[in-house]
Amino acid sequence: MSDTARGPTPTPTPSPIDRFIDLIEVTAAAFLAVVTLLVFVSVFLRYFFAWSIPDAYDFTRLLLGILIFWGMAVASYRGDHISVDLLWTAAPPGARRAMDVFSALVTLVAMAAFTWMFAEKVLGTRADHVGTFDLRQPVWIYYFIAWIGLASSILLLSLRTLRLLLWPDKLGPAREPHTAE
Amino acid sequence: MSTDAVAVTGFISLFGLMLLRVPVGIAMGVVGVLGFGYVIGDIGPALKLLSQSPIRTATDAEFAVIPLFLLMGAFASASGMSRELFRASNTFLGHLKGGLGIATIVACGGFAAICGSSVATAATFSRVAYPEMRDHGYPQSFATGVIAAGGSLGIMIPPSTVFAVYGLITEQDIGRLFIAGIVPGILAIAMYVATINVIALVRPDFLPSTPRHSWAERLTALRDVWAVTLLFVFIIGGIYGGLFTATEAAGMGAAGAFIIAVARRKLSRADFLRCLVESLRTTAAVFTILIGALIFGYFLTVTQVPQKITEFLTGLGLGPYGVLILIMLMYLALGCIMDAMAMIILTIPIVFPVIKALGFDPVWFGVIIVMTVELGLIHPPVGMNVFVIKSVIKDVKLSTVFYGVMPFVLTDILRLAILIAFPILALWLPSHM
Repeated sequence: MSDTARGPTPTPTPSPIDRFIDLIEVTAAAFLAVVTLLVFVSVFLRYFFAWSIPDAYDFTRLLLGILIFWGMAVASYRGDHISVDLLWTAAPPGARRAMDVFSALVTLVAMAAFTWMFAEKVLGTRADHVGTFDLRQPVWIYYFIAWIGLASSILLLSLRTLRLLLWPDKLGPAREPHTAE
Repeated sequence: MSTDAVAVTGFISLFGLMLLRVPVGIAMGVVGVLGFGYVIGDIGPALKLLSQSPIRTATDAEFAVIPLFLLMGAFASASGMSRELFRASNTFLGHLKGGLGIATIVACGGFAAICGSSVATAATFSRVAYPEMRDHGYPQSFATGVIAAGGSLGIMIPPSTVFAVYGLITEQDIGRLFIAGIVPGILAIAMYVATINVIALVRPDFLPSTPRHSWAERLTALRDVWAVTLLFVFIIGGIYGGLFTATEAAGMGAAGAFIIAVARRKLSRADFLRCLVESLRTTAAVFTILIGALIFGYFLTVTQVPQKITEFLTGLGLGPYGVLILIMLMYLALGCIMDAMAMIILTIPIVFPVIKALGFDPVWFGVIIVMTVELGLIHPPVGMNVFVIKSVIKDVKLSTVFYGVMPFVLTDILRLAILIAFPILALWLPSHM
């Protein structure tokens, strides 16, 4: 049978975890679209109508915070953070896996501490009744949504560490080194 | 333990963690918190940093400049503007000896004006220009070398993510930094073109030329690049004329690139989502390092590392330029093992006080740093642009790309020397803002 007759290779069905991660990522990406729209519309209104959307500034920066924290959660799970690969690329497979597990554990502990401390910040902001500049919307709600991203990262990182230890093949092949410039 | 010993231990731990592949931002955050806690003798306030510093960074409206310019570049890449730029420059320059190489450099320069990422520029032109050059008999080493060098223009010609990050860390006006990059960027294009001419002169049989295009073809191709021109003039003109802040310009640019792409039916829903997700991923990667660096900054403050390094370097008796060369050599060495963005975020808080103490202009130093990073993107053994080209063009060896890019590395070193000798090249335009 020819390749054409056999048809395309079926795409593996994503697991519930992968779907959950995709959902977080797409939602955060949608926030980025909203931030862009807000900046664009704010400038447009300022120049053409000498008017500004109430709370546009606060809403933009708080949404930015949410999308960054959510993005960090996904990057932590996928191993998308910028890291130094010098030793890793030269190491044998066993040592690579050990380094991956060590790195995932350190990241997990660091993110757990961060999530715990940020929970205090959310509660503190709620207790202090901090509001946005124009409409006095409670800021703690935005912080809480951002915190959900961090809390998800703990769940996802625990899962990543488990997968690295027990089923390393489930995480797929290592990606090309990620860069930001 | 003395604070000096703590500082040394902190740096050893940081590099140790990074070598064990702990993400750079996480490593900086961990060492920052533990080191700060150790020096002040109480881990409580150190942990408190985690509740204050990251959210302050993530919700700083000025920092929105990073994701918004990344998004603009993603839309520009997806909407095929690179192909039009290459076609236009090819019709004008392709008939010269090594003309397709020259056309690639000029098109990369044009694309850099709407995309602030070197890696995206190199990846885009690996798809657009490489097949054309190979079809016309250009050697593989030359074709890939030109794309690697041309790609590095992405971070020099504004808008540039590296300039934006440098501005945010050093509290310099991002708009002024962008404008400062224009003349050095044009100089880079001119010098890369000159390099190709020298290669064609020294080895006449090495580079072919293609048939000359008619003026009708040239004008048609020129008409297609209106979108790039419009976007660049709109953003940079807006910053230069004081109409927008850098963040507003980034938002207008991203929205503008989106509108142009949709109006020309070049952006599907899938492309749109891919652009957003790609920008989000890079944003998350950059912000993790930024947040880590700011926490690490508290550790640097309590151990007084920047002050001590400033005292040490200024006391060496090398003079300002001697110290500057020493710093740049350090960057080139670090560039062999580290991602350029991570390197800048990690080192600028330490190096910047030295530069100020030596009396150098911070905007000019920003240009010098970006040029050093540009060099790091193409010089062996790491050269990120080279790896990106290799990942797009599967049948090329890394050594072939490095061989092809060597003449451009020498050009970059010469350009760096020119910029150090004549700071006015970078500072003249911003002085008129």
